[in-house]
Amino acid sequence: MRSDLIDIQVEDYGEDVEITLSGSLGAFQLPAVREKIDMLADGPGCFFFLNLSHAHFKVNDYLDLFLELLNKLQAQNSKLVLIFDSEELDEYFAKYRNIFEIFPSRSAYKDSGMSKQLQQIGIHYAVKTGIRLSPSVAIAGALLIVGWAITLFLIVAAQGREIADKQAQIIALQAQKERYVREIDRLESSIGPLRKLGVVQDTTMLSSFGIIQDWVTYLEYLENSRREK
Amino acid sequence: MKPTISFVLQLSPATAYKDLEAVARNLLDGLDVLLTSGLVKCSVYMDGPTLRMLRKVAKPLAFGKIKNGIREGLLEFLGGGFYDPMLPLFPEEVQRLQLEQHCTLLRKFFDMEPQGYFNSSLVWEMDMTAVLAKSGFDYALVSEAAIQDALGRSTPTSGWFTIEDKGALMRIVPVSGELSRAIENDDLNWRKIAEPYCREGKSAVVLLDLPPEPSEIVAFFERLVDFVETNDVQTWPVGYTVNQLEPEGSLSYLMSAGRKLGLPASAKTCREMLIRRPEVNVLQKFFLSLFRRGRDSLSDEKFEVFCDRLIPAMSPIFFRDLANEEGMRCLNVRKWGFRYLLTASSALDSMMSFSGLRVEVCDFLLRGEKQIWMENSNMSSLLDYRAGGVLRLLCHKSSAVNLLNAWRDDGEPSLGFLDCLLPNVDMTPVQIGLALSLREYLLKDPYDYTISRSESGAEVQLLEEQGFTVGGKKGVFRVEKDYVLAPGASSISVKYTLSNSTYMDSKCFFGTIFELGLLGKSGGRIVIDGFDLKWDGENPLVYPEAKEMKIQDFAQGCVVTMKFDSPASVFVGPVFGASSSAAPEVYQGLRIYPFWRTALTVMDEKKFGISVSVSGR
Repeated sequence: MRSDLIDIQVEDYGEDVEITLSGSLGAFQLPAVREKIDMLADGPGCFFFLNLSHAHFKVNDYLDLFLELLNKLQAQNSKLVLIFDSEELDEYFAKYRNIFEIFPSRSAYKDSGMSKQLQQIGIHYAVKTGIRLSPSVAIAGALLIVGWAITLFLIVAAQGREIADKQAQIIALQAQKERYVREIDRLESSIGPLRKLGVVQDTTMLSSFGIIQDWVTYLEYLENSRREK
Repeated sequence: MKPTISFVLQLSPATAYKDLEAVARNLLDGLDVLLTSGLVKCSVYMDGPTLRMLRKVAKPLAFGKIKNGIREGLLEFLGGGFYDPMLPLFPEEVQRLQLEQHCTLLRKFFDMEPQGYFNSSLVWEMDMTAVLAKSGFDYALVSEAAIQDALGRSTPTSGWFTIEDKGALMRIVPVSGELSRAIENDDLNWRKIAEPYCREGKSAVVLLDLPPEPSEIVAFFERLVDFVETNDVQTWPVGYTVNQLEPEGSLSYLMSAGRKLGLPASAKTCREMLIRRPEVNVLQKFFLSLFRRGRDSLSDEKFEVFCDRLIPAMSPIFFRDLANEEGMRCLNVRKWGFRYLLTASSALDSMMSFSGLRVEVCDFLLRGEKQIWMENSNMSSLLDYRAGGVLRLLCHKSSAVNLLNAWRDDGEPSLGFLDCLLPNVDMTPVQIGLALSLREYLLKDPYDYTISRSESGAEVQLLEEQGFTVGGKKGVFRVEKDYVLAPGASSISVKYTLSNSTYMDSKCFFGTIFELGLLGKSGGRIVIDGFDLKWDGENPLVYPEAKEMKIQDFAQGCVVTMKFDSPASVFVGPVFGASSSAAPEVYQGLRIYPFWRTALTVMDEKKFGISVSVSGR
């Protein structure tokens, strides 16, 4: 089959679909190329990039094919962008230079301006979802969403700061407590031998509750103290 | 007469996959023996990974001693490819990249640039002349047989010749095959064999393979010193003899199929391997496809990083028809080869931020027919719609495994989704295994294809009438076979619609064959509907009414799950290959054949579906 001389590739990136056509394209291949490109263009996608960098056209009939493809994609509210960077192809497309959008690479088109791409996405989804937004409403909506996002971010950031302060305080207090406990242990251990010798009186046992070991004794103590009064 | 011999020492490329550190340590000790004796002057070739390891494990002053040896003319390091590839199989850009990387390493470690080019396979094609001349080489080593062929004589050849191509000149030095074998095998007649090579003060080039076992390396060097001392042999590095001797003449054309490739003696070029072995061919074409895609889409900086991942797959062991971990006849070697390629493929995807779907209709295998390449960020496959809509490759990127990686001794490729009808008669599992192995009753006519894209993914629809002969009866089925691949999915599914388009009832078993390069020595298990088959890896068996089958390969760290839309009987059997000495006994893969009873009356229609998914450990 003569059509087998061509290579065709489709890369699907969601919104972007890149169709690469390579090989030497003469009159014999035209029906096969038409069939294959139609087949691949019949699917989802907002931007169709037709990469012709490795293609060589022997006849002018392909220009009609690309014009038909442009019409077809416009009817689908999608955009056709031709990708190549050679003088030979520049010359081939010279007649229709103002009709086709031509860029050296997909990334070059992406860098060429946000607004036209957003507009194209808008047109594409307006038809797809049936929702139409005027640019002012879209901008207002976008500002509202951005405002919400910023407010949310500020609230989260403020709360985060507060939590960090509290945590710092807790850590400082814990450290202080540990320091005190260590200090008390040290002091108790230093007076321990003196207390055993009876030189130092254990003041903790002098308190009224010092000798009370259980609830029964405590209740008896309360009863006694009430009677004494 | 005192014979003059130029010894060339080289390591087997398979060494790089064993204990390279131990090899490098012993190699340093061996070189030390050589340099200390001062008796043997020789040329050495080591590939990039070995040189790096040598540097890593070298003791203080070891490299200083080697550098000193080079300055004194005791030792010459030969250049070549970084991974010692067979250069004619690859594009010029990557040839030069490999030569440059190896040269940079030699310059960095030993402050020298190599004068001679060496390739362990000794392959040669005319195009290499200009590439080597551009890379700064003065001479190249080629097998003596190739030069004898070019000169049209069978007498021993030594010295050096010149060859010219596209205005570039290269000096060609023959490696004496007979003398190398005689010295390697301790043949006492070696002096007699060496005589015609060493006439008129010429030097014979002898190529010796260093033993791959680390423990034998030092002993090898000691034996070499002993041989030179005992036999009173004059030795020179190859570079010295090329500079000292006069040329023997010019060659108009030179071609060498190389050595130790597993090719028959009649082969004229290493390219013969691509025609004889489909596994080697598909690996090379996959390499070329990745290389071209990277070249077209990446910036120079990223392309360099990508090449570092890709070029290990150029190692010669992936282009040899040898067993015992020296060539692709070994299941492990095939797994390594595809592991390198798929790691590079994943790296390429991440550098290109590729997360969608790619469908390419191209002549992937470069044989004048188109195939369809289908790929997403997790899976890639090669569909041959002209050979019965079969898969030639089915790869899972994150596990870096090509599932269709079995080996058939008859030189046919291993395939997936190869449709086959079995006759409606009682057959034992052994008989089924034999019929599948011989590839009888296949539906393998070319299909027409349609590619359709949708929100859920891409679909390749194959449609054709397929003729068959089963049990003496001829018939025609109209077969619709739809491959579905979704973006980001780790699975591929196929939906079949079979209709009987003749005026005869047809009773048979319809199924599809998978020849998987899974399990083997490394172990694994097969689980069907939660039941562990405990398959012994030898005897074929049939499991009835299966809905889901899991194949767990522990070594490759992947689980392959096959789900059937309607319960299917599943045949499980081995793919055996011949060892070098005996009947088929080497495990080369796993043959799976899910099949359904298909009694189709006139104009009747049946639908089947299989989904194959792959996940990590």
